[in-house]
Amino acid sequence: MATETATRTFTMVQAVREAMQEEMRLDSSVCILGEDVGPRGGVFLCTEGLYAEFGGDRVIDTPLSEAAILGAGLGMAMNGLRPVAEIQFIDFLFPGYDQLYSEIAKMRYRSAGMFKVPMVIRGPYGGGVRGGVYHSQSPEELFAHVPGLKVVIPSNPYDAKGLLISAIRDEDPVVFLEPKRIYRAVKSEVPEGAYTVPIGKAKVVREGTDATLISYGAMLHVALEAADRLKNEGKNVEVIDLRSLVPYDGEAILESVKKTGHAVVVVEAPKLGSFANEISAFIAEKAIEYLEGPIMRVASIDASVPYNIEKYYLPNADRIVQATKKTLEF
Amino acid sequence: MAAPFKPFTDTPIGYVDNDGSPVAKMKPTLSDDQLKRLYGLMVLCRAIDDRGYIMVRQGRAGFLAQTAGQEASQIGSAFFLEKRDWIFPSHRELGAALTKGMTPGQLLAHVLGKDLDPAKGRNMPSHYGDGELHIVSPSSTVGNKTPAAVGVAMAAHIKKSGEVSMCYIGDGATSEGDTLAAFNLAGVFKSPVIFAVQNNQYAISIDAKHQTASRTFAEKAAAFGFDGYLVDGNDVVACAEITKFAIDRARAGEGPTLIEFLTYRYGPHSSADDDSRYRKKEELELWRNTRDPITRMKKYLTRQGLWDDAAEAKLQDEVKAAVEKGLAEAEASPLPAPETVFDHVYATLLPHQIEEKIEIFGHA
Repeated sequence: MATETATRTFTMVQAVREAMQEEMRLDSSVCILGEDVGPRGGVFLCTEGLYAEFGGDRVIDTPLSEAAILGAGLGMAMNGLRPVAEIQFIDFLFPGYDQLYSEIAKMRYRSAGMFKVPMVIRGPYGGGVRGGVYHSQSPEELFAHVPGLKVVIPSNPYDAKGLLISAIRDEDPVVFLEPKRIYRAVKSEVPEGAYTVPIGKAKVVREGTDATLISYGAMLHVALEAADRLKNEGKNVEVIDLRSLVPYDGEAILESVKKTGHAVVVVEAPKLGSFANEISAFIAEKAIEYLEGPIMRVASIDASVPYNIEKYYLPNADRIVQATKKTLEF
Repeated sequence: MAAPFKPFTDTPIGYVDNDGSPVAKMKPTLSDDQLKRLYGLMVLCRAIDDRGYIMVRQGRAGFLAQTAGQEASQIGSAFFLEKRDWIFPSHRELGAALTKGMTPGQLLAHVLGKDLDPAKGRNMPSHYGDGELHIVSPSSTVGNKTPAAVGVAMAAHIKKSGEVSMCYIGDGATSEGDTLAAFNLAGVFKSPVIFAVQNNQYAISIDAKHQTASRTFAEKAAAFGFDGYLVDGNDVVACAEITKFAIDRARAGEGPTLIEFLTYRYGPHSSADDDSRYRKKEELELWRNTRDPITRMKKYLTRQGLWDDAAEAKLQDEVKAAVEKGLAEAEASPLPAPETVFDHVYATLLPHQIEEKIEIFGHA
């Protein structure tokens, strides 16, 4: 008889925490650093209890400096540890962006492989929580564009745990973005014990034949809502959760788009220069002969995230439905 | 142990005067053999530097940040580091890289971007690096290496490995935010890190007075809760002694130290710079003719009865042979294969890279 593995209904916060906790128990080189990650347990409680279990040498409260967190994490990774750096809000990463862009991403390359950076940079990102300009942004393309970084964005607690374990075990720096809007709003079954979800593999979360919705993170759930509404109108839409942006699963995208002939890419970032463009260009380059309508992009407005009228800024099911109909009716 | 040095002095700590005579009450702990090795390394460093400059003039190298003038501060500061210790050089830290163990062949191959360069020519010349020797080649955005130098030290503390991290920055890099963040971090965690400020008095054209309103760069350490020492950076004995003190402190768990090495570069900022636009020839001549670290050390050794013409002639022969051998190795080394452009972005090629590689080179 197979061993029973306990499964619990978890939030993404719980899943993220358990991934770190279990990896820290398995591997003494895994450590955490960031602002308020110690006794406070992180402002979203993602590291709650870890300081008590592992102590201050492995759950390191740093001074308030993202450059210090990221740069120190880089040095720790180069010197044999596997740091998980928490950035309190991804919007706050930018004082340390040079550490990510010039140092962390390039260290392996510029040393011709003599130094490696097995490091995770994780933190909450995205809107929908009335966080205003600086607690709401989706800057994933600013990480995805940088050679040397991997970028992962889970949409549910099960994937969050498995992807974070993969990220911690990865030999390269992984930017792990947690959609805070669904930190507690979306729950799923999460097994005890280590399991991995591979980086670079998308998941077809709903099968369909008429069009393909491609999304990730919190927008995946908005895309699913749109798919429900389209179903009521007789349109059978396939929904793909990309899960990883770098590397992204081109095969899964092509397989679906070749079947449906229509692609709609839904992202939370402002549209200009967004990751939707990469996916759209990829589809156009590889499968234009299969397309029966334009590739549509649904994204946030090309503006910063407003505190008071945010709901008009973010993509919603209406806009996704409209975009899907536009390509279907082409 | 009573501290042998006073932090935050207004005048530089020194052991040897400009004319090569010992400074009163400052008795070196260095052995005669160590003193001679320091001198020999400086002469070798100057010769490699000169060779690099010739390669630029010949059009064989595209860039160089000459080291000449700064041999004492670089070689003295790196002299007591062990192989396990880390250095984060700035560009121009030829002397530190040489002292840490890179060979003339590797150093010249680096200038030519050849395969023999441990970093395979990935970086512009004067950005020395070697994984095995824990020499981390710098990025050119000065200052941003400093937090990683502290991170390496924090890991050393966590692993109880006893490693020390030596972070070289110039006077200019002390103005960067990341540098101050790193100072702060090192102070809070009492990390085994040494910030070696090579104050050569110019960040390209900006002189030290326009870089900071502080009286010294050393005193900046006070704001972060550790000591800063101002040292005569052209006195290799002082540079080695003060750094040994800082290394011992770091290894004993007594935390970071900032050392300001007051020195001077003879060349322009780089081969792409024209220093006649911002500094007077007389100033350069003053430093080169009366404060040169190599000349000073030779006078000192001679006064101490440790050096004579025969020893000098033997050293010059050895240095010449070492540079010739290094040059031959560097020239014989091939350029890395074009396909290696894809290597080491990640541990393994990602799918989109494989596709690009096939597209460009016809194979994965």
